[in-house]
Formats: sequence, C-alpha cells, structure tokens
Amino acid sequence: MAEGKITPTMEQGMEQRKNGNETYAVVCGVAGWLVPGLGHALLRMWGRAAACFLCVGALVVLSAGLRGNVFTSAANDAFDRLGYIADLGTGGFYLVARTLETDGPDVSKAGGDYGTRFLATAGVLNLLAALHAYEIARGRKA
Amino acid sequence: MKLTHLQGMLLFAVIVSVAFGFMSRRRPLDQVKYIVWSLFLFLLVGIAVGWAMYPLSR
Repeated sequence: MAEGKITPTMEQGMEQRKNGNETYAVVCGVAGWLVPGLGHALLRMWGRAAACFLCVGALVVLSAGLRGNVFTSAANDAFDRLGYIADLGTGGFYLVARTLETDGPDVSKAGGDYGTRFLATAGVLNLLAALHAYEIARGRKA
Repeated sequence: MKLTHLQGMLLFAVIVSVAFGFMSRRRPLDQVKYIVWSLFLFLLVGIAVGWAMYPLSR
C-alpha cells in the first residue's frame, strides 16, 4: 500500500467521524438552546459557558423584576408572535421567567417596556450562543 | 424593581457587551478590549439617539 493513499476503510472512518461530529454539533446546539451555556460547556469552554448562562440569566431575572411582558402562544398579532419566538429563544429560562413573574406584566411604565425588551434580548442572545456552540462543534469557528 | 432610563440602558449595554466579548474573542485580553469597546459604543449611540429624540419630546 502506498503511503499517503486513502483506502476505502480510511474513507469509511472519515465519513463516520464526520457524521459523529455533525450529530455532536446538533446536540451542542440544542443543549445550548435548552440551558444557556450548556452547548459551550459540552465543548469544555467553561468561560464562555459561564458568561452565556450568567448574561441570559441576568436578563431573564431583570425582565421578571421589571414586570416585562412574557409572550405566550396565545398571540394577538404578528408582533406578539415575534415576541413569543424571541422569548422562546431563552429555552428553559422561558419557564423560569413565567414562574418568576407572579404579578403579571405592567407595561404602563417604562420599566415594564425595558423588561419586555430584556427578555427578548435574552432569547436572541441565547439563540446566537447556541448557534455559536454548533458552529464550533462543527469545526467552523474557534 | 424600578430603574431609570439611564440605569436600564447601562445594564443592557454591560450585559450584552460581556456576552458579545466572550463569544466573539478567545483570548482574555482581547475579550476585555472588545467588551470595553462595545460598551463604549453602546453608550455613545444610546446617548446620541436620546439627544436626537429630545426635540420630539417637547
């Protein structure tokens, strides 16, 4: 066998590793969405995982404290639906936000508006982090 | 919990800058530089937009 030549067995191994990487990348992405920072934690990027968890968590807690609007699936218009999608981006923290906000939203004051935006930002930020973890697991980013 | 507009903007800018810094840079020094720079830009743009809207509020 000539050195440096790719045999069918090697090709099969490479294909299996590629498929394994792809599956693991999807697992990292979904885990990162469900629990902020978990995608990076699975990749042993502890700093990024902690930063993601703390930033998304802080935004969710602040949002609940400010009595922002936590959108539900019972949306009235397109903006509510978009808000719901953004809020769902927080993954498991969406349930935390709903649990924490016992008094319901109060958007009659600026604080409530800030709370609504904070939660939407947390969702989009978490989706970005989950996508980032997925890309790293695929070997596209450092 | 009550926040003024400035406090709300500051909190938002700090949290998002930290998240961006950790995600977009790998080395700690680069992360700190990025966090400071994006925080500065967030505040600059926020205050500039606030002043730009000031005449409309009267």
